Amino acid sequence: MRADVVVVGAGPAALATAVRLAEAGRQVRVIARGNGFTHWGAGAVDALGRLGGERVERPLEAVGRLPEDHPYRLAGEAALRDGLDWFARFAAAAGLAHAGDPDRNRDQVTALGVLRPTCLLPEPAAGPLSGRVAVVNFEGFRDFSPALCAAGLRGAGVDAVPASVPLPPWDHARYFTAVELARAIDDDDFRRRLAPGLARAAAGADVVVVPAVLGVRGGHAPWADLQRLVGTPLVEAATAPPSIPGLRLFAAYRRRLDALGVGWQFGFPAVGVERDGDRVTAVRSEGASREVVTHCQELVLATGGVAGHGIEANRDGTLAEVVAGLPVEGFPDRTAFLGERFLGEHPLGAAGVRVDAELRPMNASGSPVHANVRCVGGLLAGHDPTVEGSREGVALATATRTAELLAPTPTPAT
Amino acid sequence: MTPLLETDVVVAGGGVTGVAVLRDLALRGVNAVLVERFDLGTGTSGRWHGLLHSGARYAVRDQESARECIEENTVLRRIAPHTVEDVGGLFVLLPGDDEAYAGKFVEGCQASGIPTEELSAAEARRREPLLAPDVKLAFAVPDGGIDSWALLRSMAADAEARGSRVLVRHPVVGVERDGDRITAVRVHDQVAGEDRLIGCQWVVNAAGAWAGEIGRMAGVPIRMIAGKGVMVVMASRYVRGVVNACRKPADGDIIVPQHQVAILGTTSVQVDSPDDIAVPPADVDRMIDMCAQMVPSIASGRVLRAFAGSRPLYQPESEDGGGGDTREVSRTFTVLDHAGRDGLGNMLSIVGGKLTTCRQMAEALVDRLAERMGVTEPCRTATEVLPGADHGPHRLAAPLAGVERDGAYGELICECELVTRGQVRAAIADGLTELEDLRRKLRLGYGPCQAAFCAWRAAGMLSEGSGGDHLGGLERFLEERWRGQRATIWGDQARQALLNHAIYRGIFDLRGAGRPDEAAAAGLPRAEPVGGG
Repeated sequence: MRADVVVVGAGPAALATAVRLAEAGRQVRVIARGNGFTHWGAGAVDALGRLGGERVERPLEAVGRLPEDHPYRLAGEAALRDGLDWFARFAAAAGLAHAGDPDRNRDQVTALGVLRPTCLLPEPAAGPLSGRVAVVNFEGFRDFSPALCAAGLRGAGVDAVPASVPLPPWDHARYFTAVELARAIDDDDFRRRLAPGLARAAAGADVVVVPAVLGVRGGHAPWADLQRLVGTPLVEAATAPPSIPGLRLFAAYRRRLDALGVGWQFGFPAVGVERDGDRVTAVRSEGASREVVTHCQELVLATGGVAGHGIEANRDGTLAEVVAGLPVEGFPDRTAFLGERFLGEHPLGAAGVRVDAELRPMNASGSPVHANVRCVGGLLAGHDPTVEGSREGVALATATRTAELLAPTPTPAT
Repeated sequence: MTPLLETDVVVAGGGVTGVAVLRDLALRGVNAVLVERFDLGTGTSGRWHGLLHSGARYAVRDQESARECIEENTVLRRIAPHTVEDVGGLFVLLPGDDEAYAGKFVEGCQASGIPTEELSAAEARRREPLLAPDVKLAFAVPDGGIDSWALLRSMAADAEARGSRVLVRHPVVGVERDGDRITAVRVHDQVAGEDRLIGCQWVVNAAGAWAGEIGRMAGVPIRMIAGKGVMVVMASRYVRGVVNACRKPADGDIIVPQHQVAILGTTSVQVDSPDDIAVPPADVDRMIDMCAQMVPSIASGRVLRAFAGSRPLYQPESEDGGGGDTREVSRTFTVLDHAGRDGLGNMLSIVGGKLTTCRQMAEALVDRLAERMGVTEPCRTATEVLPGADHGPHRLAAPLAGVERDGAYGELICECELVTRGQVRAAIADGLTELEDLRRKLRLGYGPCQAAFCAWRAAGMLSEGSGGDHLGGLERFLEERWRGQRATIWGDQARQALLNHAIYRGIFDLRGAGRPDEAAAAGLPRAEPVGGG
């Protein structure tokens, strides 16, 4: 195998980097172990939700208050703004329009009724919770409790009451998950049979909150159609994984990558690299029957931090970057990995590879380890995407910066 | 101070021994009240590896204990089959182990009445496929697993049905004495926040590792040694039955399969206080490395958590005290009648022993007490089966079979432990209002995912009943699950921890702000059901 650029990973940073590089004219190949934080996230675009525990209202403005080694400071505020703008255009073109403004955070409703700060929201999740809100579940779907969500919303000052609607008879296995329910709702006829019950449950309400399961293959169209049939604004609440909005986005990225001719090797992790001097010349990955070697001029690692499997946390407190063995600062012992409080902060969540201003991994003395390796997204040191609420923003900002750095050199006019 | 109530006997201590004493008294028609400082089984009874001893572990060095164990092993299978996993056990000889010890082991088992069967390496590996390939030979013994929480619940329910009372969250804070007799036990009602008196004729000190503290309040010296044992909970079972190393007992020489997990045990270190249940990370490493000699795949396995318990070891005043390794202290038990010993006329203590022999310990104590009280009813605890026994032996596959039978896949609230919506609903209807209570009753949240999905599903069900948001209870539950985990998190479990953090803090934006940790504020300990951790 051979490619100009190999991107390792399939999370928000890998997908955005691969698309942007391919759009810029590079020949790209993606190698991924499996799904990433599109599937495990909240289904929104977080830029900077919290700083020092306090809610951030203006994420771009707050970037200047971050430490100098934060990925936003390295990639630059302009890369964040450009990344968010690019994403909004990309998503809209893919039928997944997002609402929001890079200069102002907004609320995302969650299944617990807690309102979380985020930056861009898919339209089905973006409607304001004004007036009387009915929180409605589909009977038999166990990953959403309208009572819990409504109680949480009331705690946040929203006038919310719980309700539930029966699902029309449908062909599902002995039980069903969010994905199966979302696929059922993709079906036009199913939605027509579902709508009257939902309309009854919505009677008297100004807004209806439902779990984020309103179709998966059809993008936002099933949501828009059901909303029209019901006649009341429908707002999708974020649930625990898998994220259906994340699945919609992942599918959109896949379609775009296919259209751009990007090769894709999914389900086989990269396990090592080959080197020539300070350059990486190839990536080794598992294959169905034997190891696969993919030669490349540039390598982008978007494998995530410890949560994403890009870094292994060892029993002795050391950390290891899993593909190229890049330097990662470890801990004196494993008890330092995590904090006293589960809902507090954990040093391991912010562990990562330190990079220079061109996103190249650095050694302890601060010089690049490889001339042609870049790191993006959750793999980067200096930020905790969960605590800050910055996962998608860091992915997009560093993907944008990488696309600038690796854009093809213009051929000199002859 | 207001008198709370009057009774014939106050039993101090809500572990298996105290509850077994309460049941024994109830079966003999004696009116009794059990008082416990926290909840049933929060001490050593809930912090151990869950081994139903055959006695073989003591066959070489402590045959009195070995005989007690094999007798009670048979009795418990009869009266409490629903609490027993009848999985058998092996003692395996590895390269480097002393073959002469194996000879002594077989002789000791014979002398103690423990049946053994010698197995070739091939036969041992057929029965336990994950055993080390270099195992030399093995001996099969009638070890098993036992769920001490189920046993506690059954014994307490039986005693209460016969008129006994159980008062949890009522720590003993003192006694009222009139000359050489105790007239009342002073307890602190933690709910009402005030002290109360329980007037009584007799006092039974069944406080286990804490028996010395009850002794001090009553003015009688009881020398207990706190012998801490660290245990490690692995995320899957690895073994079909119990696996022991066939050598002098040492750290990391036993693997006990329990429900969905395996428990590795254990250290044996003398500590200053039975409340010292800290888990040094180095002990976790040693358990894993030693047990991996017997079952190599444990070395790369996923650790759920580690916990420690305190053995109730008793050192008679005539014997010399201690030093480091508490394995040398006998595991048998002793009834102390403080009348002759200390001139305190109406208190008896039961010290030493082990979970497997709890019924026999109660019998010995209550025989003595009955004699003193002039009660002539004989002990019936060895023959009267416990409530729930008609369910037959506990089998790992039973919950799955139930889910299959009922087609209840869509009703699973906790996939790891196969807890269904119906079970949660019934528990809520029984009056449980906290996730922590649901955990202890149903094992909700025990499995590898560490409550990533079931906690908020169950919070939703609580909310459907109460209309409340239960966010504070959810946060407390998550923090409670987190305690004591840090020594065991690396590798896959580190990924799980950060994924759970991404769900609860990241997606749901829970930060624990403004919701005080009431359990921590009240100083309550974390209860550890068997196999749970």
